[in-house]
Amino acid sequence: MAINRRQFIKRSAGAVSVSLIMPKLWMGSVARGQEVAADPNRRIFIVIQLAGGNDGLNTVVPYTDSRYLTLRPTIGFKDTELKDANGVSTILGNDPFGLNPAMGELKSLYDAGKVAIVLGAGYPNPNLSHFFSMDIWQTANLTGAGSGWLGNYADQKLIGKSGLSAVSIGSALPKTFYANKIVIPNITPAGGADPFVNYAYQTDSSTAGVRDKNNQVNTFKSTNSRSFPTGSFSAPLAEAGFDAEEGAAQLRAAVQNYTPGATYPTANQPSATAVSFASALKMVAQIITTIPDANLLYVQLGGFDHHSQEIGTAADNFTDKTKGQHATLLKAFSLGVQTFYDDLTAHGLADNVVMMTWSEFGRRPNENASKGTDHGTGSPMFVIGNPVHGGLYGQQPSLSDLDSAGNIKFKVDFRSTYSTILDKWLGADSQAILGAKYDNLGFLG
Amino acid sequence: MSSLSYDEGAHLLRRAGFGGPPEEIDDLSSRGREGAVDFLINFNQIDNSAMESLLAASFNFSTQDGISNPEIRRWWFTRMVNTKRQFEEKMTLFWHNHFATSSSKVQDVFMLNQNVLLRQTSLDGFDNLLLKVSQDAAMLIWLDNITNVLGKPNENFGRELQELFTMGIRDVVTDEQNYTEQDVKEVARAFTGWNYRRQTPFTFQLNTSQHDNGSKSIYTGTPWAQTGNLSGEDVITIISARPATARYLTWKLFNFFVYPVTNSSTDKATIDRFAKVYLNNNHSIKELVRAIFTSDEFFSERAFFSLVKQPVELTVGAIRMLGGMFNQGTATARGNSAILQNSSRNMGQDLFAPPDVSGWDFNLGWVNTASMLERFNFANAYLTNRNTTNPGVFVTNDQLKSITKPSSKKTVKKFLARLGPLSVGDAFGTLRTYLETGDNGQPVTYVNDDATVDKKIRGLVHQIMSLPEFQLN
Repeated sequence: MAINRRQFIKRSAGAVSVSLIMPKLWMGSVARGQEVAADPNRRIFIVIQLAGGNDGLNTVVPYTDSRYLTLRPTIGFKDTELKDANGVSTILGNDPFGLNPAMGELKSLYDAGKVAIVLGAGYPNPNLSHFFSMDIWQTANLTGAGSGWLGNYADQKLIGKSGLSAVSIGSALPKTFYANKIVIPNITPAGGADPFVNYAYQTDSSTAGVRDKNNQVNTFKSTNSRSFPTGSFSAPLAEAGFDAEEGAAQLRAAVQNYTPGATYPTANQPSATAVSFASALKMVAQIITTIPDANLLYVQLGGFDHHSQEIGTAADNFTDKTKGQHATLLKAFSLGVQTFYDDLTAHGLADNVVMMTWSEFGRRPNENASKGTDHGTGSPMFVIGNPVHGGLYGQQPSLSDLDSAGNIKFKVDFRSTYSTILDKWLGADSQAILGAKYDNLGFLG
Repeated sequence: MSSLSYDEGAHLLRRAGFGGPPEEIDDLSSRGREGAVDFLINFNQIDNSAMESLLAASFNFSTQDGISNPEIRRWWFTRMVNTKRQFEEKMTLFWHNHFATSSSKVQDVFMLNQNVLLRQTSLDGFDNLLLKVSQDAAMLIWLDNITNVLGKPNENFGRELQELFTMGIRDVVTDEQNYTEQDVKEVARAFTGWNYRRQTPFTFQLNTSQHDNGSKSIYTGTPWAQTGNLSGEDVITIISARPATARYLTWKLFNFFVYPVTNSSTDKATIDRFAKVYLNNNHSIKELVRAIFTSDEFFSERAFFSLVKQPVELTVGAIRMLGGMFNQGTATARGNSAILQNSSRNMGQDLFAPPDVSGWDFNLGWVNTASMLERFNFANAYLTNRNTTNPGVFVTNDQLKSITKPSSKKTVKKFLARLGPLSVGDAFGTLRTYLETGDNGQPVTYVNDDATVDKKIRGLVHQIMSLPEFQLN
């Protein structure tokens, strides 16, 4: 099939898409086999969503609060139990908190001053519905209405930039990334050797269809590289269509330039969850090391809705607090972040990356009769990275002062964490994006 | 009575509905222009019992637990694909975008109720439609009128009522300012105390103790000035009668159904002319849309394929035009039926959740690399799904084969006719070459046998759905 001029120009010289409203096609100046050159001014922000409502009180354990073990006689940690698998204490220095024993890696990062913990993050009149509370956190709006807070940021800051300047890794685009002026791509990881393989102009996967693939892709490129009159919608449609296919192909090609700088978990060790979460972070590493514009990323770790059997396994009759559903997820989180951090360090990017966790709510202080916990309110957020001033921020809610539902009273508006990151890391105007001014928590800048 | 060609009938069905197979287009064309429009807009006279039976068997909205975010979307898509009353669904979509209310703030049961209300009142006099929507729980919650009370007015509804639902800040024809900030305050006072009962069926209720019975002055110094103890109902009557409202609604209908309206004097004159139909017919939306759909403007060359397909037009239309299937599943076995709502959302149109109260951005608002990839990959998922039993979208080999011809030229022509009809210039030859190219890239002779249908015809339709021309309506 003949290649026309426009196609030829696009393929050879990396012409930039000209439409005013579309994000530009990313065109790498990076040679095959090369990663992005270091840029001290580069600022990457990664959101890690802990979906389902993470149990904050068993993540950052307030072990000196006299009410903690009264409320959690079965699933609570005694101070002597706050040590990781190697027997190293997970108590945070002289502070009255210890990390869950599954989080040894995160404790090391904390000790190295790379982790800020925002205690008691929440919002007034908490909504205990997963859906509504997620909307609230994702829109930074207490009604849950409107586009995502990072979508608002993208609308203001990413117009005219590469279509890969923000990317989500997951099953679907998170509302946090819902924007009004652009659509941020979501890449659903494919099983198998190349997780990016489905981010493509997809063609028939049947046996006969696969043999026809080249014909299909060539036909697509040919019909979408025709010229159309200026002013017609056909011109930008063809341009965006062609760029969609090419941009995806370039992304898939670019990420092959990446060489891991750390050993990511494999083969279901320590768990399938840990492998899949670390794989998503590895995809982030692949993208940010090979695509210079890709600075806003999003990954998810789900399954925190532990209404029953939060601790232990059948083998220990659900008593071993170092095992079980919550420990598995927190280990996945901790190990994934550590591996990713090591990878960043190896690539010289550790000074350029800030990560932030959030969960739609914490869980009720009082354990239930099923060794689980029900929906609660505030919980801690982690902000992680070399640029972060590690330590404790916010304020731990007292377990002696619960609301009428038996939940803690939040102490810090979660939007303060957002505004601190927007203002002090992303160089944005948080008030314009969040609609109000929030306290600078001081963990950056 | 004006005649209606096949292409005009197809254009009418794509715009007033979601497109359809040749039988439906032929039926419309045989009725002539006025007859076809009359048929579409008098949808209450069209037997829709097959769809109603399907809905009854496939959904459980009898308890509030059955009314969830994905379920109301599955329900609406099932309607759009299966309804014989195509214009009913399309007009409901128009009003959903116009009174853009979102499930991000409003409970699903209220979103569903509002949708039902829009369907019932979509062609009423505008005064009645606006009043019903304004008094419905979804809107009362969405724009905070439930917190709009005596002494502490909330201006959210009073503002959007004027800015987005009726007149616009400035007259779309004369460019005159339609209202002032003072009018926003005064109008808000008229709606104080509007609320809804907190039990089924959540009907409107005026909390009299929270209603401001003082005198309000609106539109002072204009021909529409009014002073007195105006109620919300009064304000709706006053605004509905203003020419600015007639023009704004006409402008929105034109942009949605006809072509993108410019600021030219010609276009302004057109809008003004059709606005008079509204003013001269007791604000009847039915008469306004009848005038628009039977107009020469609607059938002008400028109108054909002048809009970018909305994502739901693309997904639903691809099934209807090709004779494909949407197995919607049941409340307990949904399979992959969410493909329609998920794909449309990823293309930028999440039904029941417009981005904000101003609705979706049309045309180029749908166009970017991420959303285009979704369009192409939806086409591929639809065309390559060979599972004809589970919930999801598919088209059978038999159906595809029935559209083919022995020659590649006629086959391409038939499918382009089916999916538009589309005129695609040079791409015609490229598509024909595709049918005549073998796995190794060498020329082969096209035959419409079963193996070719399963591979090349599925590929051909995927390619047609990937054309810029197919993205247009």
